[in-house]
Amino acid sequence: MKAKTIQIITLVSLFSVLFIGCGEETTNIDVVHDEGKPVMALDYRDFDQAASSLVQSMLGSGALKKEDGSRYVVATGRVVNDTMQRIDTDQLMAKIEEEILNSGQAVMTSAVGSGTDKLIHETRELRDSEEFDQSSIAARGTLLAPELSIAGKIFQRNIRYDKKRQQVEYYFQLKLSDAKTGLRFWQKEIIVGKRGSNKSVAW
Amino acid sequence: MKKLILFYVSAVFLAIGCGEERGDSRIKVREGVGSDNIVSNVVTRPVAKAFSALIGEGIEIDEAILRRNNAGFLELHVNGHNKSYSTKKFRYRVEWLDSDGLVVETKTSVWLRTSAMGKSPFSFKVVAPRTEAVDFRMDTRKWE
Repeated sequence: MKAKTIQIITLVSLFSVLFIGCGEETTNIDVVHDEGKPVMALDYRDFDQAASSLVQSMLGSGALKKEDGSRYVVATGRVVNDTMQRIDTDQLMAKIEEEILNSGQAVMTSAVGSGTDKLIHETRELRDSEEFDQSSIAARGTLLAPELSIAGKIFQRNIRYDKKRQQVEYYFQLKLSDAKTGLRFWQKEIIVGKRGSNKSVAW
Repeated sequence: MKKLILFYVSAVFLAIGCGEERGDSRIKVREGVGSDNIVSNVVTRPVAKAFSALIGEGIEIDEAILRRNNAGFLELHVNGHNKSYSTKKFRYRVEWLDSDGLVVETKTSVWLRTSAMGKSPFSFKVVAPRTEAVDFRMDTRKWE
């Protein structure tokens, strides 16, 4: 009886060790030189590629260069997510805004647009409060209106490629317009296409 | 029989080596579109393709031109050609260097995809998003 119990315990222990050994281990992704397989949904590599191409095109076009050498005030407008995925469009816009700022040719505004910082407006509501030193509160007429606005759209098309495969097309569209005149200075579309199994879910 | 094969192979290699594209060199007329000729025909093409694959032909970079655009940013224009018969898909990543030779940190330095069709020239442009960039370094890898 004792020998049988020991046998069972040994077997259970062996199987446990085997299962632990075979389990998929968690690894950190090398986000700079990722050699992982592509996925049907949009992943960070697609956003990196789209943002890089869009920024290069926008800056290279000279649309952000002011003739007098000063910097444009740029606001981020609405960037619509028309895909089947839950995407925070900031995943794209944060990279683009960062590069616009770092280019030294324009400044982004947090006063209006989708990148609004509520505190900018909340602090102005303290003008009549006796609790605050009024000289430390921004005076009226100090905010600068944006001269340019960026708006865009990310949308998706699913196409049946053949019996076993589907094609998913993602379109990243961005445009830069003059806020005063409404004229469009620049626009660009980047397409990311994927073809894979029908079983893969792209949302 | 051996002599015949030797003659055939020699003739094909000679044809490949001496082959010159007729017409305007800026216009590529591919197989199945243009007429067959002594260099490229239904007999020579399979041998030429097999030989190209055997010796592992791929892309070659002919020149990398740097110029500063009107907006003040450095532009890199890469021109090359694909020596093989098959389309080569690859990725490239450009890092920008400042006057001290240090890497300029930017979100645009990511692996970007491009491709070159068989026996064709290709070119792509990369723009530095900072005016302090004065030089570059570029790496390539297979597009898996």
